[in-house]
Amino acid sequence: MRDVLPTPTFATGRGHALGVLALGALFAAALLPLAAQAADADTAVRAAVAALAPQLKIDKIEPAPMAGFRQVIVGGQVVYVSDDGRYLMQGTLFDTKAKVDLTSARAAIEHKTRVDAVPQDQRIVFGAAGKPKYKVTVFTDIDCGYCRKLHSEIAEINKLGIEVDYLFFPRSGPNTPSFDKAVAVWCAADRKAAFTAAKAGVEPKPAQCDNPVAAQFALGNEVGVTGTPTILAPDGSRIGGYLPPDQLLARLQALDKKTPASP
Amino acid sequence: MRHHRRFLLLASAGLLLAAHAWAATPQDTVRAALGALAPGIQVEAVQDSPIPGFYEAIAGGRFVYVSKDGRYVVDGTAYDVANKDDLTASSLARLRKQALDRIGPDKRIVFAPAQPVATRHTLTVFTDPDCPFCHRFHQHMAEYNAKGIAVDYLLFPLSIHPGADRKSEAIWCAKDRQAALTAAMAGQDPGKASCPNPVAELSGLGATLGIRGTPTVLAEDGSQIPGELAFSPDQLAAELDRRAAARQP
Repeated sequence: MRDVLPTPTFATGRGHALGVLALGALFAAALLPLAAQAADADTAVRAAVAALAPQLKIDKIEPAPMAGFRQVIVGGQVVYVSDDGRYLMQGTLFDTKAKVDLTSARAAIEHKTRVDAVPQDQRIVFGAAGKPKYKVTVFTDIDCGYCRKLHSEIAEINKLGIEVDYLFFPRSGPNTPSFDKAVAVWCAADRKAAFTAAKAGVEPKPAQCDNPVAAQFALGNEVGVTGTPTILAPDGSRIGGYLPPDQLLARLQALDKKTPASP
Repeated sequence: MRHHRRFLLLASAGLLLAAHAWAATPQDTVRAALGALAPGIQVEAVQDSPIPGFYEAIAGGRFVYVSKDGRYVVDGTAYDVANKDDLTASSLARLRKQALDRIGPDKRIVFAPAQPVATRHTLTVFTDPDCPFCHRFHQHMAEYNAKGIAVDYLLFPLSIHPGADRKSEAIWCAKDRQAALTAAMAGQDPGKASCPNPVAELSGLGATLGIRGTPTVLAEDGSQIPGELAFSPDQLAAELDRRAAARQP
């Protein structure tokens, strides 16, 4: 159970979630006047987060599990702010009774919501014949070996009743060859054919057009994608990296049994 | 409290349980809460915190926040937004300062500025003879000293470096500790020597203070200096001046 209290933070000075984004600003930014007296806790909480990280957009403010706090969803992450806006905690919140990591659970719901919000016409869909039994979302990079291996087995995966919706996550980021290839594939006349060809190592013909690659790369970062392929199950949980088709099916079936109703 | 407890021993089992729950100390609450998540975890300290409804505790060498009803644990960092204070870092610095104040010069290897340079700042540095960044830090020693910065080393061999234990002991047991340490930091193997030494004690101390890497550089107030500053004598001196000024009322 060592993992329950994970990742040392002292010696490395590695910050928690918000720290990665901006907490340096805590000591640099001019603080907004605190709305401590405001009757509306949301206003106070909003001011607190703005004081620490003015560039971050707050997605949601909702009651936290513990009394006297709000939980704030910001940049795909969860932080806890006292109702008066005075104190902010970031890290992992555990419920000692249920023995669960409430922060990850809440973040997972947020991540699923965001991935689900990607419209169908912004995905590259390799559907199963007939009605799919399972639908997975896969963050992919044209130039990643295991992504290519996974796609080389796409027919078999589809045959098992699994639909694969691809989103682009060129790991090297914007202004890199992998990113440009993703854009070129998206802009090709026959997108799916171009995708499959690129996955087989054919250099896509450079092309530019309106495309969702940058947005999907940003989405991946927000929902915690760090490598490719990242396979997300229908319930939003992370299956992880590459799996052979039969093992992928087994994992999806196991998840089915574990979660009779989605949260 | 003692009387109370003794009296309770005579009471019925049911009463004992009820009264005990009522008398639960912060330590009891925190131990039970953390124990539920990580059985056997050692709770080193518990104190009240400014965070409403939460205790601050040190367990396994790190800070956690535990709700006073024992239901919730936050493993992370707490900020006082109004005062721009990283409460976790401040508590850690206080804890480290208290502990370092109890480590006498007889357990340190001291590199102090020579006359006529006056010592303006003293750093405590946890170091390992096999750590490349420790070598790099030590290369700047003359510059640190010239800027009035004294460095007190504490030997802290990391378990990831096999043999660093032996080398640390050999450095400590050398006739000229400073010279032996400088040679080791230049890559020479100090060989083997045994004598009474503080290495084991310092290793244990470092673990309870959350020291996990080397070099860990601490200012007089126990606050940690980021590595990238520590390797630049100019920036280090400026940062130490800035921190000292900030501490003036």
